[in-house]
Amino acid sequence: PGSPCPPGRRSACTRSPLGWATLLASFSNLHHANFHTTATVDAKNWERKNRIVYPPQLPGEPRRPAEIHHCRYQIKYSKDKMWYLAKLIRGMTIDQALGQLEFSDKKGAKIIKEVLLEAQEMAVKNHNVEYRSNLYVAESFSGKGMYLKRIRIHGRGRFGIMDKVHCHYFVKLVEGLPPKVEQKTNFDQAKEYVQQLRNRTIIHSL
Amino acid sequence: MKISSFIGFLRRSLMHLEYRIAQAASLDRQFAPALAVQGPSLLKPSQSESDECGQSTLLDSILWMAAPKKRRTIEVNRCRRRNEHKLIPVKNNIVPCPECGHLKQKHILCGFCYERVHRETALIRGQIQAMEGGPLKNPAVETVVLYESCRASSVNRDAKTSLSSAPSSSSCIPRPA
Repeated sequence: PGSPCPPGRRSACTRSPLGWATLLASFSNLHHANFHTTATVDAKNWERKNRIVYPPQLPGEPRRPAEIHHCRYQIKYSKDKMWYLAKLIRGMTIDQALGQLEFSDKKGAKIIKEVLLEAQEMAVKNHNVEYRSNLYVAESFSGKGMYLKRIRIHGRGRFGIMDKVHCHYFVKLVEGLPPKVEQKTNFDQAKEYVQQLRNRTIIHSL
Repeated sequence: MKISSFIGFLRRSLMHLEYRIAQAASLDRQFAPALAVQGPSLLKPSQSESDECGQSTLLDSILWMAAPKKRRTIEVNRCRRRNEHKLIPVKNNIVPCPECGHLKQKHILCGFCYERVHRETALIRGQIQAMEGGPLKNPAVETVVLYESCRASSVNRDAKTSLSSAPSSSSCIPRPA
């Protein structure tokens, strides 16, 4: 359980601040990244989750399922539009998710499909996953990337600032079957609410 | 503030009406000679009026435009954006293709199989082009496409032009069973 952290990469990160900056520069292709490193440094937390090593499990314990975190940064797409696709594949098996994304007409669908396939490959190679289909999407969400600003010319000498939007996409695959979410009917929810109201006690009463 | 602007608007509209009537009565004050007494005295106010007209009508229209009363909170925005009808529906018509095993939609041809057929026909067309050698040179006889595997078939080669699908440059395409 857990993945062995690649030693060479880690030592390069911690050795010198200059090495860290160049590493960041190689990750993000923007010129701005050389000056503002805070945004990219915070974003690397997701990849660090792959490096946590758990202590060996006791003989009686149930097997801890493998977790694979993967992401892609600075995708040229809107985070709001990407959210819809991320919401679509939440809780699906990886094969089902890949199928849905393949036949979606959205631009982000192609990108998310690439990310999922990369994550699947990583799972089989590095994270000791036996069957590549035995994965499901536990978490999937999008975040705001760094925006480029441009001038949009309106009439009568006015102008507006146009944002060239970018987004990040994060996904967490877990080994095994997806947990079954019990679908509560509206009537059941209403009954529960009424029961909660009935269970209230009146304080300071006789 | 609104009443005064409305009165101003009425005043300006009356002036405009008067001007139009004068024009209809063929009293072209715009083109009147400078010596005429009435010309400049009437031109100036109309000019100033027209200048004011341009700016105040713009301001008026801004006052009468619709504008939001309050900022929409993120909770309200989320309710609208994440409503059921705005989410992407899950497709239930994705099936594996019986020929190649890739996924396809029920009512649409398999993309992989189509691409394979497209490439094969492109090769055949290339061969035909090479054999013909130019445009509008197709022979008057039927063209038969022969694969390498069926060269020894009992097709009469003299009557029809035939071409094999395995030229020396490209690889041999296995005939779909």
